[in-house]
Amino acid sequence: MTDPIIRFDNVTYHYPGTEEPALRDIDLEIMPGEYVAILGLNGAGKTTLGLCVNGVVPTMLGGTLEGSVTVGGLDVGEYPVREMAKIVGMVFDNPEFQMSQLSAAEEVALGLENAGIAYEDMVRIIPETLELVGLKGFEERSPLGLSGGQQQRLAIAAVLAMKPQILIMDEPTSNLDPIGKQEVFSIAGKLNKEAGMTVVVIEHEVEVMAKFADRVIVIDHGRIVMNGAPEEILSRVKELGALGLRAPEAAVLADDLRARGLWTGPTPTTTAPAVEQVRTMIGAARG
Amino acid sequence: MTMTTALPIAMIPGDSVIHRINPIAKLVWVVGYIVLAFSTQNIFILASMAVFAFLLGIVAGVLKPLLKAMIILVPIGSSLLALQIIAPAVERPWTLAGSIGPLSLYGDGLYYGFVLLGRVVASLIIALVMVMTTHPSDLFTSLAKLKMPYTLNFMLAMTLQLIPVFQREFGVIMSAQKSRGMKGTGFSAVLPSFVPVFVGAIERVQQLSISLESRGFGSDGHKTSYRQVRVRVRDWIIGGLGAVLIVGLSVYSIIRGTWSLSGEIVFSGAFVTTLFAIAALTFFGFIAFTIIYGFTRK
Repeated sequence: MTDPIIRFDNVTYHYPGTEEPALRDIDLEIMPGEYVAILGLNGAGKTTLGLCVNGVVPTMLGGTLEGSVTVGGLDVGEYPVREMAKIVGMVFDNPEFQMSQLSAAEEVALGLENAGIAYEDMVRIIPETLELVGLKGFEERSPLGLSGGQQQRLAIAAVLAMKPQILIMDEPTSNLDPIGKQEVFSIAGKLNKEAGMTVVVIEHEVEVMAKFADRVIVIDHGRIVMNGAPEEILSRVKELGALGLRAPEAAVLADDLRARGLWTGPTPTTTAPAVEQVRTMIGAARG
Repeated sequence: MTMTTALPIAMIPGDSVIHRINPIAKLVWVVGYIVLAFSTQNIFILASMAVFAFLLGIVAGVLKPLLKAMIILVPIGSSLLALQIIAPAVERPWTLAGSIGPLSLYGDGLYYGFVLLGRVVASLIIALVMVMTTHPSDLFTSLAKLKMPYTLNFMLAMTLQLIPVFQREFGVIMSAQKSRGMKGTGFSAVLPSFVPVFVGAIERVQQLSISLESRGFGSDGHKTSYRQVRVRVRDWIIGGLGAVLIVGLSVYSIIRGTWSLSGEIVFSGAFVTTLFAIAALTFFGFIAFTIIYGFTRK
């Protein structure tokens, strides 16, 4: 039995000068190699939860943190964020605000330089990583001259190049088109499957998450209210609705049909099985 | 939404001899030029400096952007010459060269005007050639090698980045305010955008610092550099030659008491009068054009 790579132990967190806690009694364990999606309304505490993992909360943002967050065996509050950076890679939602260098290659190089990676390795890693996110040939372009989607992929590349054990992405695809979104999550999926990287994604896109994630966690008002396999969580259409969240279209359809007595069997969370079952039903009705 | 606002003066990519010179060697020349320009009053030295810098610009293949950036010299140069001719910034006695109506025109003033203009032109051209042929990252990498503190270096590089960002943000906020019926042009229109832009800037900087820390910025360990700037024998020679030449000429000029040739060179009255008329007309023409253009562009 391996130890969890991320462990929240009864964590309650207040931002500086606020009465209402941003996180309440969070108990959470994430195992190495898991692909976890965190869902919730804006302001539910998703981002705060993510920031706890690399220690931005509380070391950079202040506030009071009760309980403990342990990442890779380290107590997060004890180490500066730049130390946690060796284990945790973090991609934020506003890509433009993460750009600081004069060229895309240097943007990717920044983390490597800080980690002391040799020049000979950098010249190999940087083009590889840029190619991975589909930015091959953009090495010398200014990050601020890229489109929103390209910036987002560059921000991801800048973190991936550091080969963190844990990758946290906070709404990483808000500026991307549907294909771009799929690509980002499948890159993360590939790193997760092949390199065993632990991936935590904070997202609104339930469809994509149903497809890629091993586990879905739903947060409401700073509390974990659901925690389980995507098929289990995302099929609870009414409960998600009560929290103001949307279930995948396939689940909504199945749920609606079930209410009319037309659907039997489990509620699908991805499109493919739903299409399959509807096809069978139509076939049966005709035949 | 992608709007790319490039810096008005930015690097022009290229692979000329000038591009390949080490940034520090170029920096030696720029600093040297400024030192020499301000320690001599010999217009022949100043003129040859300007011509040489201009030739470097041609060799580097940045002639067109160079000329474009030099437009700023038109109002500066014309006002400088016109003012110096009617009120020289040198000690009396002044030699009268002619007069237009109530204005007395002085030949010494024209000489000193040429000196001032020569200083500005020579320093500006060499600085522009340097900026246009040096990748900022190479410059910062070289400065870091000279033990310039990492944070200070980063701040300089960041400033270069933020100028176009702020330009763009001003543009966006001003358009938003105009679309809600705000009137006015020029400075009065920019003023209400200041608060949102700077609040935005603070937010941006906080987010950026979090992002940088998350990538290990500021960690104590050994750091490496992705940009490799080579220092070749050639660069040492160019830098050394520049330093020797410039220090030599500066010292010689200072020994000769700024080496001013205003006593030897006497401009004819007609020349001074014509030049004054041209300079004054150019200057007022420029101002008039700017005002009219500004008013009609609403």
